Amino acid sequence: MLLWIALLLVLILAALDFAAFKIYFANSVAKFDGTLRRRVAEMSVAVFAHGNRNNDSPDAEPGKSDLDKAFLIATAQHLGQVGMEGFYFAAWSGPSVNESANRPDEIPRPQLKDRDTGTYARMRGTFREMYHATENGDLILVGHTLAPEISDANRFAGWLVFGSIVFLGLALSGSWLIIGQALQPVEKIGLTARRIADGNLSERINTEETESELGQLAGVLNSTFARLETAFAQQKQFTADAAHELRTPLAVLITEAQTTLARERGMTDYKDSISASLETVQQMRRLTDSLLELARFDAGQESLRREKVNLATLAEDSLKLVRPLAAQRNLQIRSDLEPMYVFADAGRLSQVVTNFLTNAVRYNRENGEIRIATRLQGDFAVLSVTDTGEGISPADLPRVFERFYRGDKSRSTGGNGLGLSISKAIVEAHGGTIEVASEKGNGTTFTLRLPFRPD
Amino acid sequence: MRILVVEDEPRLQRNLAKALREEGYAVDMAGDGDDGLFKAETYEYDAIVLDVMLPKLDGWELLARLRKTKQTPVLMLTARDSHSDRVRGLDAGADDYLVKPFDLSELFARIRALIRRSAHKTSNTIQIGDIVLDTRARSVTRAGNPVTLTAREFAILEYLAVHRGEVITRAELFEHLFDENDSTLSNLLDVHIFSIRKKLGTDIIATRRGQGYCIER
Repeated sequence: MLLWIALLLVLILAALDFAAFKIYFANSVAKFDGTLRRRVAEMSVAVFAHGNRNNDSPDAEPGKSDLDKAFLIATAQHLGQVGMEGFYFAAWSGPSVNESANRPDEIPRPQLKDRDTGTYARMRGTFREMYHATENGDLILVGHTLAPEISDANRFAGWLVFGSIVFLGLALSGSWLIIGQALQPVEKIGLTARRIADGNLSERINTEETESELGQLAGVLNSTFARLETAFAQQKQFTADAAHELRTPLAVLITEAQTTLARERGMTDYKDSISASLETVQQMRRLTDSLLELARFDAGQESLRREKVNLATLAEDSLKLVRPLAAQRNLQIRSDLEPMYVFADAGRLSQVVTNFLTNAVRYNRENGEIRIATRLQGDFAVLSVTDTGEGISPADLPRVFERFYRGDKSRSTGGNGLGLSISKAIVEAHGGTIEVASEKGNGTTFTLRLPFRPD
Repeated sequence: MRILVVEDEPRLQRNLAKALREEGYAVDMAGDGDDGLFKAETYEYDAIVLDVMLPKLDGWELLARLRKTKQTPVLMLTARDSHSDRVRGLDAGADDYLVKPFDLSELFARIRALIRRSAHKTSNTIQIGDIVLDTRARSVTRAGNPVTLTAREFAILEYLAVHRGEVITRAELFEHLFDENDSTLSNLLDVHIFSIRKKLGTDIIATRRGQGYCIER
């Protein structure tokens, strides 16, 4: 992270330094060029003024070019006016002649393209030279050393590099501090998360001292942990409950067998003992079946054989099963069933309805009533079963779908405490919902809601 | 010895009662916490077998309330086999702890141990002169020869022997030797005492007129 920032900063600073250096140097050269240009112009004017006059004069010295003579005169005149000041001059006559007086020999003739006229500038080593080309190919050149400007520019570059390094240092240490500060809460979250992962599920990330975005993240993590904790706790409870529910009938079986075998007994005693054992074993079988069923729903392995199902017909079939039981307790059954189609696993769904009805019989009062009805509510087909029993206390109501939860904590009512949990799993696997409403003393209503299929 | 069994699973309750009765105990039963607490507070039991998961009032709560008034030895029965449950049970004042499913022989041994401990005895055998009681085998020998006692007779002798040196009132004997279903005809007790004296010698049990019976030290 810090390495990338450093790399990026170095690149940016290098580019900036380079540009600044270029601009600075170009600027000082441009200033210098003004003087040079003036000199070249003055020289040109002077040379050509003399050159023209010499052409007219009769005592023109043969062999020496007119330009040279004019150049010498002009130079002298010019120098008389402004002084040498480190400037040097040169002149070349015609396109090909490479001879001229009073100029450093090492100065190469500027290469011109054909018939170029005008003023040009060039760098030659540390020298800046400005030259003027005339129409007939003559060249006038003025040069000066740029050494002071170059050393100025180099000094400037030195300061730039020094400044950049200082800036880089500051920026990096600053970034390091800021990143450290910014990462601290993340590190804390990581540490807490690790502790939670190590098994302390009840721990939470402190969201107070983290910044807003991190606070949100911490909040999301916390709620995830909370859900995990609940899920784990429920799973643990479920396992403990399952063990408990299986151990009790096991205890019955063991004590039954040991008591019976403790001494010689009559045939009826043995028979009684065996049928009591059988009853207990059947109870255990029902329980393990239910547990397996729930486990399969939990794992999402329970497949539904869905088809078009008429809720009313299904309810009628379930009623047939329950009627004898209801008759034993002298319960009236009132049904209000309209044909209503859902896309469901008929066997599973009738398991739910039968569970509702069995509960309605079991928890009803003698001579009570059971009402079963179907109706359409929005896009949902609704089936409800109401009893006239004692009702469920508000404390127990939210927990009736919990596994092994029995309102009275007793086994006396005969169920294994899994019926409603299984019903809930079945209805939810169908994409529906299951509800309970109850008032102490006024009976209980169980309702299931499934997506309605109009056709 | 009289034992209270508090257990809500009817078949287990019935089996425990039957097995304990066959072991010579007087057994009362309770199917829920309220009933269990009522009986535990009302009668003098020698031990209580208490299930943890009970309707109305659970085993923990029953134990906590009982401990405010009585120190009756309590054996907790539970289906939860977790360490914290055991610790909780013992901390709540349970004297022992048994996890379902259990062997009846283990249950009997633990109940015997509880009763022994509450009487500050360390052995299953009690010696009175040349008479030896084996509370485990429920047998009696006199000078090395086995003597046959009925279950009732043995129970009376055992109770008096365990509380040797104390004067036991007739009411106390009734309380500990007959359960709630027994008809307690008081002269029946005299018949049993007479029979014990006939089998083991007249001086084994002393009668303190107006007070009760005693096996002297």
